[in-house]
Amino acid sequence: MASKVSLKGKRKAGKGSKGPEERSACKCFKEWSTWAMKKAKVITHYGFIPLIITIGMNSEPKPQLYQLLSPV
Amino acid sequence: MGSSVSHAAAPPPPLPSPSPPPSSVGLAAALPPKQDEKAEPEKVDWLNLPCPIPFEEIQREALMSLKPELFEGLRFDFTKGLNQRFSLSHSVFMGSMEVPSQSSDTLKVPTAHYEFGANFLDPKLMLVGRVLTDGRLNARVKCDLTDNLTMKINAQLTNEPHFSQGMFNFDYKGTDFRSQLQIGNNAFYGGNYIQSISPHLSLGTEIFWLGHQRKSGIGFAARYNTDNMVATGQVASTGIVALSYVQKVSEKVSLASDFMYNHLTQDVTSSFGYDYILRQCRLRGKIDSNGVFAAFLEERLNMGVNFILSAEVDHRKKDYKFGFGMTVGE
Repeated sequence: MASKVSLKGKRKAGKGSKGPEERSACKCFKEWSTWAMKKAKVITHYGFIPLIITIGMNSEPKPQLYQLLSPV
Repeated sequence: MGSSVSHAAAPPPPLPSPSPPPSSVGLAAALPPKQDEKAEPEKVDWLNLPCPIPFEEIQREALMSLKPELFEGLRFDFTKGLNQRFSLSHSVFMGSMEVPSQSSDTLKVPTAHYEFGANFLDPKLMLVGRVLTDGRLNARVKCDLTDNLTMKINAQLTNEPHFSQGMFNFDYKGTDFRSQLQIGNNAFYGGNYIQSISPHLSLGTEIFWLGHQRKSGIGFAARYNTDNMVATGQVASTGIVALSYVQKVSEKVSLASDFMYNHLTQDVTSSFGYDYILRQCRLRGKIDSNGVFAAFLEERLNMGVNFILSAEVDHRKKDYKFGFGMTVGE
């Protein structure tokens, strides 16, 4: 019985020593990836249409700037 | 001198009248007549089957005929091409949009919005973006990474948090099969595979997993098509059975029918419709087992100018939707 208790104590101590480091690494990665996804979403939201317009205005044959705004 | 003048004055000899030369009769007897060639079945090359339709387009003929974009209100679309590959589009909509509601009554919300869009269409890269007045962005990217591998990105971004959606698709096209891997937000993973079994029959399967709700599903689909008809069937572990049949009656007319059964909600819907593709207009009409009649007309008034009429009548729910609009530009 005493040995069982000591074994349980050892296992708990073993888990405890590895736990906080792994958990903080996972947390850091998750936080950074969430931050990166949020930034990527904002960049895509504001920059996607301007990106298409720049790629389109630089494709051959190059359209003029006034054609972008005029309705004809 | 006199003789030359008379030669010049003589009229040119008449051209020989076109008459079938007698030798062709002999040739025609020697070659087999054309009708016999059509009646004989073509020899199937089992190692060289055609590439099948992509899995998500397996019911595309039925969807094109039976599910036009019905709307209520005014719609005006203007597409301006600046280049062969680059174009801008402006779109105005004023009318009611249906909001899904729990009760059987339909809930209509009057909306008006202006949508600005830019398209860049290259054989290898396609970029389509649409932004609405309330800040929502619809983005579609299709990129051919190699001859057989294609990457597609589909995203709807909103200003409200947690309402945005995005999906990455990777498609691989083989000689007689196609496979696709999908990764979406909310930890959605899916894949599908479709294979040609014979020149007319192709079978496919799909599997998906929703991470946040811990749901997964598997489905099977089959498609049989000849020159005049397409029949498809789909079964999914979410309890949905969907069958469709499209018959091309002539060059201008095709008839379509569709059957869907949802085992979990014990819901059965079937619809029957027609699709007339005429020179100046395209008319689609359908009738539903829920008692809904719908029609959609696109009339070509001029080169690039289309007039659109849409109607959907539901006597049971007393919901009448009529819309009209115009599309200018290709």
